Amino acid sequence: MQSSENEYLTIALPKGKLFPLAVDLFREAGISADGLTDSSRKLVITNEAQKVKFIISKTADVPTYVEYGAADIGIIGKDVLVESGQDVYELLDLGFGKCHLMMAVPKDKKRDKLTDYTHTRVATKFPHIAEKFFNEHGMQMEYIKLNGSIELGPIVGLSESIVDIVETGTTLKENNLEEIVHIMDASARLVANRVSFRLKFDRIYSLTEKMKQILTERAEGNK
Amino acid sequence: MKPMLKNSLKIPYGTRDFLPLEAACKRSIESSLMNLFTKWGYDEIVTPSIEYLDTLTIGNGQAIEPHMFKFFDRQNRTLALRHEMTTPIARVVASRMRDAVRPLKFSYVSNVFRYEQAQAGRQCEFYQAGVEFMGPSTAEADAEIIALAIQGLKQCGLENFTVCIGQIEFINGLMSEFNFSDETQINIREALEKRNLVKLHEIIEQTQLPERSKKILSSLPLLHGDKEILKKAWDIACNEQSRRALDNLSAIYQLLESYGVAEFVKFDLGVIRDFDYYTGMVFEIYTPEMGFPLCGGGRYDRMLSDFGAACPSTGFALGIERIMLAVEREGASSETLKKDCFVAYTPGKIKTAIESAQRKRNEGLVVELAPYAMTKEEAEAYQKEKKYASLLYVE
Repeated sequence: MQSSENEYLTIALPKGKLFPLAVDLFREAGISADGLTDSSRKLVITNEAQKVKFIISKTADVPTYVEYGAADIGIIGKDVLVESGQDVYELLDLGFGKCHLMMAVPKDKKRDKLTDYTHTRVATKFPHIAEKFFNEHGMQMEYIKLNGSIELGPIVGLSESIVDIVETGTTLKENNLEEIVHIMDASARLVANRVSFRLKFDRIYSLTEKMKQILTERAEGNK
Repeated sequence: MKPMLKNSLKIPYGTRDFLPLEAACKRSIESSLMNLFTKWGYDEIVTPSIEYLDTLTIGNGQAIEPHMFKFFDRQNRTLALRHEMTTPIARVVASRMRDAVRPLKFSYVSNVFRYEQAQAGRQCEFYQAGVEFMGPSTAEADAEIIALAIQGLKQCGLENFTVCIGQIEFINGLMSEFNFSDETQINIREALEKRNLVKLHEIIEQTQLPERSKKILSSLPLLHGDKEILKKAWDIACNEQSRRALDNLSAIYQLLESYGVAEFVKFDLGVIRDFDYYTGMVFEIYTPEMGFPLCGGGRYDRMLSDFGAACPSTGFALGIERIMLAVEREGASSETLKKDCFVAYTPGKIKTAIESAQRKRNEGLVVELAPYAMTKEEAEAYQKEKKYASLLYVE
């Protein structure tokens, strides 16, 4: 028994860097809505004709919306997804929003090897990923959760190191920090709620295939 | 309020109270399910809320262990609150009912406990109603429990739901063709279980498989749809094991047609349940607007042999709170606290009032007797306040 054909497909999009890229991709895949900008005051933007609703949310909340089924699908960085620990289906690597998660320390205070940092303080926006990483190396650390400007940690003496995402490395350089370990690569992902994936399978599946095709064409165009 | 009192008013994380109307709704769902299970020949079984940790984690407990509530008994043995009912029932069958004539058909309604991130319809303590069908390893037994689960939801007033059926052996069959290392196999299963298509794709790309096989593997999680999907699956079923799994699903589907419930059924050949536990047909039931399944179940032929008493089994568990939530959302709840008559009396008339109240109760009415003599005005006010349909004032 499915009545999903008449239902809305709800899409959660994160504010910030990924937003315009995500909107572009959806537009190319034939889905859009009037007034879809992340400066919009409206938090839910609906396209009645296409039976689509966009939810614009804080980056870290996208996995939550999707896991709880408040959104059927969403676009989110792999880093945020792993940190959230939310149980969602990961359908597609969108390739954009590429960055990597790493550990960095002040250049002048670099130690010989990773384990020399055991029991030191690490400032990060990603305490779960960091803890998992250090645990795998048998290291206990003191985690200091910050919400932005992580690089400040070592400068003001709040921590000995940082675990953060890096795109180009400019910020690190400007703050005299040096990457010492690569932790994981990240990029934007298309995610889906486990129930929506089944109840709205046809729509989600064809959208995924369309996006896959667009991404392949883009990749070929760049060659 | 005194500060100390404030603390003692908290309840532990992931637990909840059911206030009278909620409790009534819960009770009505539970009793209609139990009634139904009884009609289908399933006998109720009750087991302890606490068991030895070793019992509950037999076979595959590694994954669930961190989610269990654990403590010690006086001999320092580790106890745990049951996290589901299948394992305790399997223990009973492997011990006290070892020699009982098969098949065995059990039903239960009970609370179970898991450390989870609490959310609507998912607490750390939650209630399940379910059945276990132990003995036959036939499609008939599997179809019976699916049909019963569907019937159960319908009985609760739900109409808008979908049953997704899969078959663990289909994937096991395919995997056995590819000669993966243990590690790759574990990784692929994990990716399939979590529907991490990105990871699945990465793992597949790293293998040396021919293109066709890569394609087959990556299409697995997308084998979803009505019975036509079984035909599509035939094209990639490359050995006896995977073909047997599909035959099994076709047989189950035909039986579900006989039960008249095939309209609810879809197939999903990417795995939908835990690999280590299930051995054949698996299913989940979903309803729109709810991010998690209402029901899960399947065939688990190995569990009883882990207890040393091999016995093929199949079963399911329905989440009571999730059904309550779905019933509420579908507006199918008609639950009210039924109040028929308030019996009040003037001073000295208590004896007559008691007799009248008893007589009415014997007639099957819900009757409240005033706790003390009151005036007619007071009685009328109370009747209105408590919403009693009628008032009997004994003068």
